[in-house]
Amino acid sequence: MKGTHLGEFQEIVLLVILSLDDNAYGVTIKQEIMEKVNRGISRGALHTALTRLEEKGFITSEQGESHPDRGGRKKRYYTVTNRGIAALHGAKEIRDQFWGKIPRLKLHPGYDS
Amino acid sequence: MTHKRQQPPSFYSKLFEWFCKENVHDELQGDLEEEFNINYRTQGKTHAHRIYKREVIKMLRPSVIKKFKSQRHYNHTAMFRNYSIVALRSLMRNKLFSSINIIGLSVSMAVGLLAITFVSEIYSYDNFHKNGSRIYRVTSDISRDNQGTTFYATSSILTGIRYSQEFSSAEKVAPIFRGMSGDLTLEETVISIKGIYSNNDFFDIFTFPLLYGNPETALSEPYTVVLTEDLAMRLFGKTDVVGEVLEYSTKDQLTITGVAKNPPRNSHLQFDAIGALQTLVVRNSSVATNWRSHTASYLYILVPDGQKLDRIQSDLNQLAQQENAKVKGYTITPGLEAMNDIFPGRPRSNQFGTVMPSKNVNSIMVLALIVILAACFNYTNLSIARSIKRSKEVGVRKVVGARRFQLISQFMIEAIMVSLLALVIAFFLFKLIKPGFLTLNFYVSRTTSLELTIQVYFYFLAFAILVGALAGLLPASMMSKLKPVSILKGVSSVISGKGIGLQKVLTAIQFTLSMGFFILVTLVSKQYRYALNYDLGFSTENVLNVSVNGNDHQLLINAFQQFPEVTGISTSTMLPSVGSSQYAFAKADDPSDSVITYTFNVDEAYLSNMGHELIAGNDFTKGSSDGKVVVNEMFLKQLNLGTPIEALNKQITYFQKDWTIIGVVKDFNARMVNEPMAPFIFRSGEFRPSYINLRLATNDITNTMSKVSEAWTKIDPNHDLEAMFYSDEIERAYSEVSSSVKTYGLLAGVAISISILGLLGMAVYTTEIRLKELTIRKVLGATISNLVLLLSKSFLAIFIISAAIAIPAAYYMFQQTIMAESVNRISIGFWELSGGALLIIAIAFFTISSQTLKAAKSNPAENLRNE
Repeated sequence: MKGTHLGEFQEIVLLVILSLDDNAYGVTIKQEIMEKVNRGISRGALHTALTRLEEKGFITSEQGESHPDRGGRKKRYYTVTNRGIAALHGAKEIRDQFWGKIPRLKLHPGYDS
Repeated sequence: MTHKRQQPPSFYSKLFEWFCKENVHDELQGDLEEEFNINYRTQGKTHAHRIYKREVIKMLRPSVIKKFKSQRHYNHTAMFRNYSIVALRSLMRNKLFSSINIIGLSVSMAVGLLAITFVSEIYSYDNFHKNGSRIYRVTSDISRDNQGTTFYATSSILTGIRYSQEFSSAEKVAPIFRGMSGDLTLEETVISIKGIYSNNDFFDIFTFPLLYGNPETALSEPYTVVLTEDLAMRLFGKTDVVGEVLEYSTKDQLTITGVAKNPPRNSHLQFDAIGALQTLVVRNSSVATNWRSHTASYLYILVPDGQKLDRIQSDLNQLAQQENAKVKGYTITPGLEAMNDIFPGRPRSNQFGTVMPSKNVNSIMVLALIVILAACFNYTNLSIARSIKRSKEVGVRKVVGARRFQLISQFMIEAIMVSLLALVIAFFLFKLIKPGFLTLNFYVSRTTSLELTIQVYFYFLAFAILVGALAGLLPASMMSKLKPVSILKGVSSVISGKGIGLQKVLTAIQFTLSMGFFILVTLVSKQYRYALNYDLGFSTENVLNVSVNGNDHQLLINAFQQFPEVTGISTSTMLPSVGSSQYAFAKADDPSDSVITYTFNVDEAYLSNMGHELIAGNDFTKGSSDGKVVVNEMFLKQLNLGTPIEALNKQITYFQKDWTIIGVVKDFNARMVNEPMAPFIFRSGEFRPSYINLRLATNDITNTMSKVSEAWTKIDPNHDLEAMFYSDEIERAYSEVSSSVKTYGLLAGVAISISILGLLGMAVYTTEIRLKELTIRKVLGATISNLVLLLSKSFLAIFIISAAIAIPAAYYMFQQTIMAESVNRISIGFWELSGGALLIIAIAFFTISSQTLKAAKSNPAENLRNE
């Protein structure tokens, strides 16, 4: 198992997998990221992120059913592990901690100094 | 679902399948295809295809690409260590082979290093100008009536002034006049300078930054000057001197408006100071107003970005057309020369300073290449010869499982190791020959310093690796090709006929080049000696020429006359036969054609002092020489003036004046020996001499010289004595030839030595391999001479072929390129041509027979005993 640091993109991927519940495989994850996060990514980039997450033990995967559109090839569904959820909580806590510390005024978009 | 499944582009699918890791290919390809089908339906075929292709290309990342077979992990370091050890062992074992290669390579690489340093320095010239690629020089091709065209690097100031005022095709225009020479005086300090005049555009065009002063206005006003840092330090001891006033040539007061950084060494423009061009204009100097005044003035322009040169050229042509129409028999054709083509460049008259001709740079590169090739061929030849001994090693390696690529890299590494070893020695040799090369000729000594920069060191290393790779390539590919079965079966079948053929071809090329080269050098050196000993028609021995340097020559003469060693003393405006000349058209009453006639002024003592033989009439006499001339025979012949006696008292027109011929001297060569004898007129009367010719009768030259120099210092303490013996002066005039002879001679010697060394190696190996054969022949009754002939036969054929190519090639080169414009040539006979070739063949033959004799004389029993 490699390090446990959670990159920004990896965090998004984890959240997307969670939100997709049991329909999280390559195509849906990619579409969700493109639509909700408004970020164009390639399947290759996603693969790299998924591989890293799997190496860190944040997700697991299992083979699913095939489909004619896929040339008869099987899907691979991804699910987030407990460790992955813990990592997500950790990341959120760090953020919240800072959000709470920032004076309200400074967070107003019009504020400029 | 009713829609039909679409196939993604098959090439990209196959490509993806090829590079993708097998365990993830199913998932990824499935996802890609699914997405492709969605896109196909929602965005159409073209878009779907494009996205699919992009996706596949973006799959090229470490997490997706599979590990290819070739990436399988080898223990590279261990292999390299093994190769190096084997290479070192084989170097140690074959001492002769190694030393021949290392000596040959290091000598030739020293030459190569020299060439690299030289060439990289030469090409660094003028590369510091920020606008370099947009700077052009306007040149002048000048045709005078009946006289052909001369190519000048110069342009009149008038061209520059008119062009900048009337045309807008150039961004900046800087005329430069190289005439600011004289003394700058500040109180007690007098410094003679070499400066230029120019305008403010000068600083925009060139990158000569100002330390003090404003480049926009520094040269706007007349009588202002910008000094270089160096000059400011010498005059004031500091550089912040803007606003100070200097006296120039004891008449003008110049205000300092700026201090510029010293022009870098690698600038072809060199100056101590820049005066305002406006000074010449307000003085109404003819230099600034005369179309034909272009001897020392230049024009540089900055071409705007994207501007076509055609437009500038046509503007210049238009200007030239207008001005040419105003003068008779004189046409200037302007041209544009890019800054990069100036140094090194094509030869032009009146260059700004010394410009290295690109011819010289090219010839040095070619010569270095020949020498390096000779050494590389040695390595190749000897490696192939040696491959017999190493074939077992190759066979074993192959059987154990070495691939061809590995064997090639093994032998290449060996070659590169040898060349790196040679590089170290070459570097020391380079240090050794560097000072000699720098004093080679004035082109080199004035323009190069051969400084070693980091860049040059990098070139050295790259060069050594390249040489190693070049030398090792052929043997490596041949040795790696050998079949293990035939190697292990027996030695005799290993060396293919191809290898031996290749060796012969390489040896032939080697000897052709070095022989041709050697013959060429012999011819040129003969020509050089011929020129030095040529009978000029007057006596140059023991004549010391003292340059007057602007002093009162009478004072000097009075002083020199005191010395008992001075047996004759005369004055002249020029020295004949050392390369400079002045000429004009002369006409006789007989209005046949006018002829170009060379001339200079002499006093009444000159003709007798210099040993000219008067064949008719009289010498000049003091006080009554005005309007009288003494001519040479050639002059009479070309103007049809009859015999010398008949010609006396005839009138001629020269320099728009009438002259009477009072005497005729024997023909003499006033120009260089490679130019034909020409008509000549001695004029006398009132003139300012530039030289005092002292004929000396002394056994103690040092003593005499110090007396002369002492007398000089009393009269002119500001300048050094410039005196030179005539014979030295002539030698200097031919110094370019003599330095080429020296360099080329040395390089030819190097090339030949390397070739002979290689031959020695070949002879050693051939004899070794055929030792048993020779011994058996001997036992059966062959004589020693039979055996020597047997071994030398194939080499002899190579030499004869080489000589047959080299001799005519060298002859052709000599006649057509080197001596193309020379008139007085040496006569070339059999010995001049083939002497060199025969000498080389003799040495080569001697080398071979030294080896064969040793083998032939050895005791047969000794050689046959061991099997």
